Amino acid sequence: MKKLTVIIVLLVLAACAAVGFSDAIDDSNAASGGTEVKIDPKEIIFEHLGDAYGWEMPFAHHRRIPLPIILIASDGVHCFSSARVAHGHQYKDGDITFMVPTEGEYKGKCVEVQPDGQILKPWDISITKNVLALFLSAMVVLLICFSLVRWYKRHGFTAPVGMLGFLELIVCFVYEGVVKSTLGKNARRFAPYLLTVFMFIFIMNLLGLVVIFPGGANLTGNIAVTMVLALITFFITNIFGTKHYWKDIFWPDVPLWLKFPLPIMPVIELFGIFTKPAALTVRLFANMMGGHMIVIVLTLLIFIFTMMCGVAVGGATAVVSIAFSVFMLLIDVLVSFIQAYVFTMLSTIFISLAQEEGEHEHEKHEQHELAKLTPETAEK
Amino acid sequence: MELFTPGFGLVFWMFISFALLFLILWKFAWPVILKTVDERAELIDKGVEYAQNAKESLDNAQQQADRIIADARVKEGDILRDAEALKSQIVEQARSEARKEGQKELDAAKLAIQQARKDARQQIRDEVSEFAIQIAEKVLRGEMDDRKAQTRLVNNLLDEIENQN
Repeated sequence: MKKLTVIIVLLVLAACAAVGFSDAIDDSNAASGGTEVKIDPKEIIFEHLGDAYGWEMPFAHHRRIPLPIILIASDGVHCFSSARVAHGHQYKDGDITFMVPTEGEYKGKCVEVQPDGQILKPWDISITKNVLALFLSAMVVLLICFSLVRWYKRHGFTAPVGMLGFLELIVCFVYEGVVKSTLGKNARRFAPYLLTVFMFIFIMNLLGLVVIFPGGANLTGNIAVTMVLALITFFITNIFGTKHYWKDIFWPDVPLWLKFPLPIMPVIELFGIFTKPAALTVRLFANMMGGHMIVIVLTLLIFIFTMMCGVAVGGATAVVSIAFSVFMLLIDVLVSFIQAYVFTMLSTIFISLAQEEGEHEHEKHEQHELAKLTPETAEK
Repeated sequence: MELFTPGFGLVFWMFISFALLFLILWKFAWPVILKTVDERAELIDKGVEYAQNAKESLDNAQQQADRIIADARVKEGDILRDAEALKSQIVEQARSEARKEGQKELDAAKLAIQQARKDARQQIRDEVSEFAIQIAEKVLRGEMDDRKAQTRLVNNLLDEIENQN
């Protein structure tokens, strides 16, 4: 009952906030001579999902924390604050002018303008919002992993308590449930990579759900991040692949006509090598981006309805939208874990498929098993 | 579609930060954590096995103790029964012995009494006959004082003998 009251109060507050916001819009409309404030939902959604040179502060869309821009331009490395090129300003560093176009091919990207007016796209390794979020996530992962290490060094086998206990539970869940059970005797060899991947994705996912400063970046919903992770899995899979794995690709155990003279199966298998990382990349990216997009769209509905039908409808929408947003965010917490888990599990499976031993080893193993079984069966 | 084209900068930084993170964790964190987790799992497995064994041996010991107690009970019963039998036997024996002994005493007493009675009767007889002879002597002496009387007696006696013949 108490909880229900809290929820109702929160919803009413949310509705009031929406009303207040639409009032503010009306005020600004009045101030700017009655011109309609247009909302471009597509613009807003993609801005939130994408990367930026600054980090938005809460409650102030145009005030941003400036981040360093690092460019490898035609004449060397340039490094300056993103505040200098904000709001379409141009910044002259040496002979070259830099700017961020608001439209066109390089929209939202920092470009160099040559003295003769030619626009070039330099190599851009700026510390953008996503890159900073990346660093923060890595820091958090380091922090929590080393706090667990410190606990173990100090307390030996005693199980940790509180948050560390939860962390240990997750690590054990992934290590025992996924890595050990799939890879068997190779578990210790690949566990550090797989656990790092899991922790990193999990923390990035969770930080992405925090709406204000240290979080909110749509990191794992960015194809660059997932692609790098998938590529590392791809390289580990193929570099540590056994002889048997490669034989299975180029000369699999299928009827001869399937591999000679037309190498149908080898082509399919070879294709499979590359579809695996592609699948890894796309599923994590799409899942996380989808979650972010749903919450943004739900929030935008409030403003769209306020624009279209007035404050009352907007207020009503706010209640529904916020209720759904909270629900979606809660589900996203679950999804954060599941997606990190699934990425780790798929990586483990891909690696373990490449760790398969040859047929002879298998037969030997089976014979050994049989030999072990025989005395018992003989007794029966 | 900007969303589907990976940005160079992010790929670059992602690779570097992931590589650094992995190297640091690989070198300093995961060995400690995995070692602890593995060893603890082993310890727990061993502990469980040990506990199972301990429980089993405890159960065995319990069973053994129960068996020993049951055996002891049976033996106790046997011993008690034996003792009971022995006791009644001893009592019976003592009783019969006593009876026999009593009988013997009784017989001896009877015999002594009979003997005493016989002796007493003999004595009385002797005394009585003594008394009779004395009385007869006195009577005869008194009666045989005169001749007449003597003759008469002799005649009477002769008559008796004659009659008898």
